[in-house]
Amino acid sequence: MLAMAQKEELTKQQELIYEMRIGLVMTKNPVSVAPEMQMSKLREILQTKRISGMPVLENGFLVGMVSLEDFIECLTSDAMNDSVAKHMSTDVITLFENDFLVTAVREFERTGFGRFPVLNRETGELVGILTKGDILRGVAKKLEVEFHRAEKKRYKNKMHILDHVQADETRFTFQYHIVGNDFNRAGEAAGNLKKNLKRLGLPPEIIRRVAIASYEAEMNLVIYTSGGYMTVRISPEMITVNVFDNGPGIPDVNQAMQEGYSTAENRIRDLGFGAGMGLPNIKKCSDEMLLRSKIGKGTNLRFSVKLYGKNDDN
Amino acid sequence: MQLREIIKILECKILNSFSNLDLEIAHGSGCDQMSDVLAYVKSDALLLTGLTNTQVIRTADIADVKAVCFVRGKTIDSKIIQLSEEMKIPLLSTKLPMFEACGRLYKAGLKGCEENGIG
Amino acid sequence: MTIEEIVKQLGLKSLTKYDGNATVSGVFASDLLSDVMANSEEENFWITLQKHPNTIAVATLKDLAGIILVNNRKPDEETLEKAKEEGVAIFSTTMFTFEICGKLYDLLREL
Repeated sequence: MLAMAQKEELTKQQELIYEMRIGLVMTKNPVSVAPEMQMSKLREILQTKRISGMPVLENGFLVGMVSLEDFIECLTSDAMNDSVAKHMSTDVITLFENDFLVTAVREFERTGFGRFPVLNRETGELVGILTKGDILRGVAKKLEVEFHRAEKKRYKNKMHILDHVQADETRFTFQYHIVGNDFNRAGEAAGNLKKNLKRLGLPPEIIRRVAIASYEAEMNLVIYTSGGYMTVRISPEMITVNVFDNGPGIPDVNQAMQEGYSTAENRIRDLGFGAGMGLPNIKKCSDEMLLRSKIGKGTNLRFSVKLYGKNDDN
Repeated sequence: MQLREIIKILECKILNSFSNLDLEIAHGSGCDQMSDVLAYVKSDALLLTGLTNTQVIRTADIADVKAVCFVRGKTIDSKIIQLSEEMKIPLLSTKLPMFEACGRLYKAGLKGCEENGIG
Repeated sequence: MTIEEIVKQLGLKSLTKYDGNATVSGVFASDLLSDVMANSEEENFWITLQKHPNTIAVATLKDLAGIILVNNRKPDEETLEKAKEEGVAIFSTTMFTFEICGKLYDLLREL
């Protein structure tokens, strides 16, 4: 029994590194220095912050990494008045915040480095720093959720797995970035969301409804906009999904809600979408739905699915 | 109806490594518009489709479709097959067109996806 | 088989005028216009859930016998108008593609 439980845990841990994104576990707003700073000034930062390396930033952009080793080298070669720029390593391997943890794990293994700067894929800006410790902490935190779930399951009261949500709500807010016009990757966000909801042990019918509505919303973003993002909040009462994009916006929201109304071109219809069923489908799957749109600005779709539905005997 | 029977009736090729031919399929659906699949398909259904892109697999995953069969013997991109492996969805291909594929399965007793599950 | 026989046997609802004596050569079921353009044959009955005006253009180009809209789809106003202009027969049914194909398959084989 125990061996099986351990095995299950291990697989789960392996699964998690394929599902969790770097942005979720990295240290945000890391300490950084400017390239023109003197190496001598590093001493204080290294000591007080108890870190062994940090990113070098110029106008918000990463230009290099400077480490304790660089500092010691300067110390021994009497170069403490030199600028950081002169001694930092500029050949830096970076990760993106929306990459999965597995990418980071591979990089740690391959390079043997202790930390990687994390960038925003779109803007290129530094958003955090990732150490092996960050990964372990992040996975452990998530597994704790799993553990609670396993324990509660024994009491055959699935719905109560969400009791602790209020204690740490952020744990149950998922956010997904949706890339516009990338038809092949479309649906990834909804697919990952579905996986996560499954892992939370929610009733299959609830999961199916949330997954279908999110998938339709994601397809709308991919087909009609340049992309956006989706946040999913899970409270003990309901799952609320918010989808945002930057335009072009919907001219007539009421018309768009009608079954069969569509502005899709033949190209889209031949891809299997655009028959005007997307938004009505979302409405059908959700308990509440709100669609707000401003031409040229963007659209916000919010829908929620109650966890205690009519068909639920809890 | 077991998957193996469907494979026999439609003279299917299995496109991925899925091997549980005892898999029980209770309903059939023939559709090329994914929103309609999402809206109406039952979760223990076989989806017959002429659409051949990755969204078929994503839709099947999202809507709990049990198995997918491409009709008219279309060439299937390796990306699609790879995704079906990840999602663990059995992937079949038949040379028959949609009409005949639906017709044969219906005749063999597979039900559609209408609300009452009849006819 | 004639259109009239099929309409009667399956209880199709006609949404336009149609020539009941016209023959149906076979059935083509698809929701992809490119598919229908490439693979349907003359005098085929076309089963689809696509109801926008472009379907009429396809039906005309390919000399199809008519369109059966499944799942109780109602054609767009513009679609109906175009159908009348071009003389394309449109029918509707509450059945899904799978069921209507099943029934039609049986029907066509009996003959």
